[in-house]
Amino acid sequence: MTDQLISNLIVAAWLAPAAGFAIVIVLFSRMGNDQNKQNTAAWFTVAVMGFSLLCSIIAFVGYGARDPIVETWNWLPIGVGEYAPIGPMVDRLTVTLFVMVSLISLLVHLYSVGYMTGDPKKRRFMAYMQLFTFSMLGIVSANSLLHLFIFWEMVGLTSYLLIGFWYEKRAPQLACKKAFFMNRIGDAGFMLGFGILFFQCGGNILLPINAAANGGDSMLGALLAQGIDPLNPGANNWWLTLAGIGLFCGAMGKSAQFPLHTWLPDAMEGPTPVSSIVHSATMVAAGVYMTARIFPLLTPAALLFVATIGLVTLITAALIACVQTDIKRVLAYSTLSQLGYMVLGLGCGSYTFALFHLITHAFFKCSLFQCAGSVITVCHHEKELPQYGGLLKKMPWTATAFILSTLAIAGAAIPIVKFGDFSVAFGGFFSKDGIIAGAYTYSSVIGDAGFGKLYVWAPVCIAYVTAFYMTRAFVLTFLGKPRNQAIHDHAHETPWTMVVPQLVLALIAMIAGYIGIDKLILETAPQTALAAGAVTGHELHENMHTGYHFVHGWVLLFGGAWIVSMIIGLLIYRNGFTITDRIVRIPVIKQVHWLIYNKFGFDGLFDIVVILLGKLVAIIIGSFDKYIIDGLVNLAGWAGKQMAFAVGIFDDQVIDGSVRGIAEAAKGTGGMLSTTHSGNLRRYIMMMAGLSIVGLFVILASVGLIFASA
Amino acid sequence: MNEFLLNLLIFLPAFGCVGCLLAPRDSAAKSLALAISIICLIINIFLLRAYFVYLADANIAYSLQNGVMAFVTDVSWIPAVGIRYTIGMDGLSLPLLLLTSILNVVIVLASYSVKTNIKGFMGLYLLLMAGMYGVFLSLDFFLFYVFFEVSLLPMYFLIGVWGGPRKEYAAIKFFIYTLAGSVCLLIVMLGLYFLVPRVPGLSDANQITSFNMIHLASDGAVRDAFGLGGEFWSYGKAFFILLFIAFAIKVPVAPFHTWLPDAHVEAPTPISMILAGVLLKMGGYALMRITYPIFPDAAMWAWFAVSLLGVISIIYGAFCAMAQTDWKKLVAYSSVSHMGYVLLGLGVLTVTGFNGAYFQMIGHGISSAMMFYLVGVIYERAHHRDLNRFGGIWNSMPTYTAWASIGFFAGLGLPLLCGFPGEALSLLGAFQATSWITTAADWVPFAGSTSIMYILGGIAATGAILTAGYILWMFQRVYMGPAREEYTYTGDQAVKSREYAVMIPLGLLAIALGVLPSLFVFTMTNDTVHAFFKIVRADAVQQVMTAAGQ
Repeated sequence: MTDQLISNLIVAAWLAPAAGFAIVIVLFSRMGNDQNKQNTAAWFTVAVMGFSLLCSIIAFVGYGARDPIVETWNWLPIGVGEYAPIGPMVDRLTVTLFVMVSLISLLVHLYSVGYMTGDPKKRRFMAYMQLFTFSMLGIVSANSLLHLFIFWEMVGLTSYLLIGFWYEKRAPQLACKKAFFMNRIGDAGFMLGFGILFFQCGGNILLPINAAANGGDSMLGALLAQGIDPLNPGANNWWLTLAGIGLFCGAMGKSAQFPLHTWLPDAMEGPTPVSSIVHSATMVAAGVYMTARIFPLLTPAALLFVATIGLVTLITAALIACVQTDIKRVLAYSTLSQLGYMVLGLGCGSYTFALFHLITHAFFKCSLFQCAGSVITVCHHEKELPQYGGLLKKMPWTATAFILSTLAIAGAAIPIVKFGDFSVAFGGFFSKDGIIAGAYTYSSVIGDAGFGKLYVWAPVCIAYVTAFYMTRAFVLTFLGKPRNQAIHDHAHETPWTMVVPQLVLALIAMIAGYIGIDKLILETAPQTALAAGAVTGHELHENMHTGYHFVHGWVLLFGGAWIVSMIIGLLIYRNGFTITDRIVRIPVIKQVHWLIYNKFGFDGLFDIVVILLGKLVAIIIGSFDKYIIDGLVNLAGWAGKQMAFAVGIFDDQVIDGSVRGIAEAAKGTGGMLSTTHSGNLRRYIMMMAGLSIVGLFVILASVGLIFASA
Repeated sequence: MNEFLLNLLIFLPAFGCVGCLLAPRDSAAKSLALAISIICLIINIFLLRAYFVYLADANIAYSLQNGVMAFVTDVSWIPAVGIRYTIGMDGLSLPLLLLTSILNVVIVLASYSVKTNIKGFMGLYLLLMAGMYGVFLSLDFFLFYVFFEVSLLPMYFLIGVWGGPRKEYAAIKFFIYTLAGSVCLLIVMLGLYFLVPRVPGLSDANQITSFNMIHLASDGAVRDAFGLGGEFWSYGKAFFILLFIAFAIKVPVAPFHTWLPDAHVEAPTPISMILAGVLLKMGGYALMRITYPIFPDAAMWAWFAVSLLGVISIIYGAFCAMAQTDWKKLVAYSSVSHMGYVLLGLGVLTVTGFNGAYFQMIGHGISSAMMFYLVGVIYERAHHRDLNRFGGIWNSMPTYTAWASIGFFAGLGLPLLCGFPGEALSLLGAFQATSWITTAADWVPFAGSTSIMYILGGIAATGAILTAGYILWMFQRVYMGPAREEYTYTGDQAVKSREYAVMIPLGLLAIALGVLPSLFVFTMTNDTVHAFFKIVRADAVQQVMTAAGQ
């Protein structure tokens, strides 16, 4: 296949949902609102996604091994004949992610057809999903930071619209506003980093991958050409660290990293299909994707920042996930924690496995959310785990998908048993394994002693916690005795449109380790801070062997993490909350539980610090504007008016008075003053006259000055 | 032919004004105004085509610094003092002319809902139209001043007669404030008139007249005399400040902005639209046409103050908007914030920034006019604008809300809508300025500093957060929530197709400008911008370097 054809296929796959959105909004909206017409529109959007997937797969297959294809379209002029480019860039990562995004999107569209049954705004929902897919594909096909930022904001908009889809209720209103707003906080950092890099890195093409091959075009190439090595930037190039951290702030907003993470759990107010695609599988991963793209530009200081943010997020979120009772919030915090893994992976330099984890996570988390959505639908929109229990028999397929995905996220593998290089494991095992291996290498680079150890042991421990909280969610939902009989009686298996997508996703998550995604991404791996001197990704991989020896040396520990945690989870939650209710009554545990249950107080902190402070400043500045600035203006007007009176009195009493005599002058003044009380118009005319006189003086004085100095 | 069309743009509305006042019926006045605005739009589209033909003509060495403009009419007006009637156009005026003519059509349509004294309203509006076209076309300083004032007077009456409860106060405030700016303008005009003939080495054109602003800008001797180390350098600085204040009031720049919220709140909806859509742009346009090209060295001398005022306007306006409970006042303050990007982009003296500033004027012209109309549609029905009392309009008026979301999200600066390219380019322009400031001569403020632009740009970028804050908060309070009886408009109250005829063109333009900014704006301005920069930066930088011995 020619480069042009592949590029065109990618553009077609990208623009098809945009066309779908326009057609649904403009044409289908005229067809009337009954459920059948809405369903026609919904199936239409599914067909559009099918087309997108087809194009993506053809491009993926046809891509083979070749250099990245970059097209540049002139968009914004930045100089004499120079343009900031946008346009598609196709490389191996792009085609892989195109298949992933369009596949997941197709399945979620299909799922939504079932999930949104009966919703009067179903058609609008499907249209928003189309717009979202368009924006998301726009991000992964971006050739420059500018292009990426455009769709970065567009996914922000669609996320806003979808979270607030049920805007009649108060909670979604607040959640969607919060999501957009917090993303904008990150975006301010993004703009700063973008602005700094924009003119330092020449054309600003996002091509860190295979930078050597594409030297001058890429940002890294432009930096290297100036003699700036991101791995060793030197004191004069402090701006590079600032730019890297600035751009990563954007990722912190989008990927909901600490401390900008509180919007993601709130975003669960949106319909569940939205949570499954936007807030777990794709959009929140966009931050990770962007960081991976700018990865070669990150200086060691910036990488440490990235790794630390990831570390904090993955620990706190996993702990919070253990005590949440809302099933969607458990999954939301789980998402946060897994995103923390990816970000930590990026910071540690295991670029490949961060992206690999992005892909495996997308499949199993999307499946988990869809299962949760199915459960919620059949349980009268009840989201609380204490109301579930014993749904296994009622919803066997959903339970199957859920348990498969749980095994995948827990990193299930058969310990010790190995067939040559081949180990039997779910996708999540391979990707998490790689991240931990990278973290091990990283901790040995930044110093084994002290806190350096934290970067490797924390993710290991959290791997146990992950398996625990997911088992907890599974057991509480599907096993044990029904805790709310009314809900249990009503429950039933969902229609095929909902069951099929979740099973397909779970199956892909199962086999994700064997279809060579990691190898594909590995081809694109850039230079890293840890592999200074390594030119290609392969060498990076070699450098990570130490990490692998570490991981595989303890294979029982890591391959077996899931077994221990899942047995513990099963034992504790077998009978619902009976055991835990007793545990949380123990004094110290009670307080700790309270702290974690309240999310360490971050939500409240954000509300107080940002919202209240912002509103307070707004009120102060608003009042300042109203009373001080406008007050000064009114004072000037008043002064002008007074001066007019003074001049008037002077005219009347002194000049005219000398003519008319004192008695008449006094009468005149009386009349004059009485007019000031006789309505607005006169007063304003006086005011105007007064100011005109002042103006005239100014003019005359100035002209006089000019003449005088001439 | 083209020259004639240019004159027609000014005189047709002026004659139309008389026609409207003499019209036998109200409906005749309405139709006449609509017809004239449509004719002007057609003329402008024709001029657009003619301008590209003109540019394509290889024989014309087109550039501003040679004093060449397209389709110039130049006749003597007051020979005793050398005042001439000179009009012409270039890439700097063309997009604004198009914006004006498009807005005029939709605003005349929007004015159909005016109830009282329609003949007077339409007549004054046409006079205003003549003034606006005149401002964007005139090349003679005195003529410019006249049109600047001509556009002021109808505005005073349009606010003062057809406005809200505090209309007299708002109208007089608007009038006096702008008049104060005009006084500054007058001083500079006279100052140049008396000083320029004494500049040695003056070209022939300027021996005859010093009122032609293109000659003033293109004459190297004049620039030298008012530039750094020149004979009139102190005047150059003073004149720059005076001109800056004159136009900063119009833009408006904080702290010269307080006339704006009052004028907007009291003005009827169509007048708010034209005020935000076009009249504010006169300030920005005049800065680009007059202040910067005539005093380029002073512009470099003042770059930091101008940029800082821009950043202050962005942040200050956004905070003020957030504090408002009056919907229209919120939109009015958002104008202050958005026009801050114009000043920032202009102040940093980079091509990127300039492009951003220019695009922001066009983009804001569309989005602010649309936002004011969206407010007006609801205000006409609900008879109040208290944000805290609204709710549920999305459900009760879904189609209207679809267009409203385009308008407000364009105001928010969402990519692919018209608010984004301007903001992004202005910000990027600020960062681009790092390159010349680090190597600038030491009389330039912050010369040699690498971090000053990062700080300014970083602060300006936080404006995007605040914008999101007030727009989303407003959107939530007005449009979200369950549908309410009191804001459900059906039958007579339903949104009319005439009202959609105002919203839809603006919404489509917002999308078109956002998706293809180069096609719709920059293809017209590119050549002029390059010519502009030959005057304002490249030459000036060279001269300055030599003068300072570097």
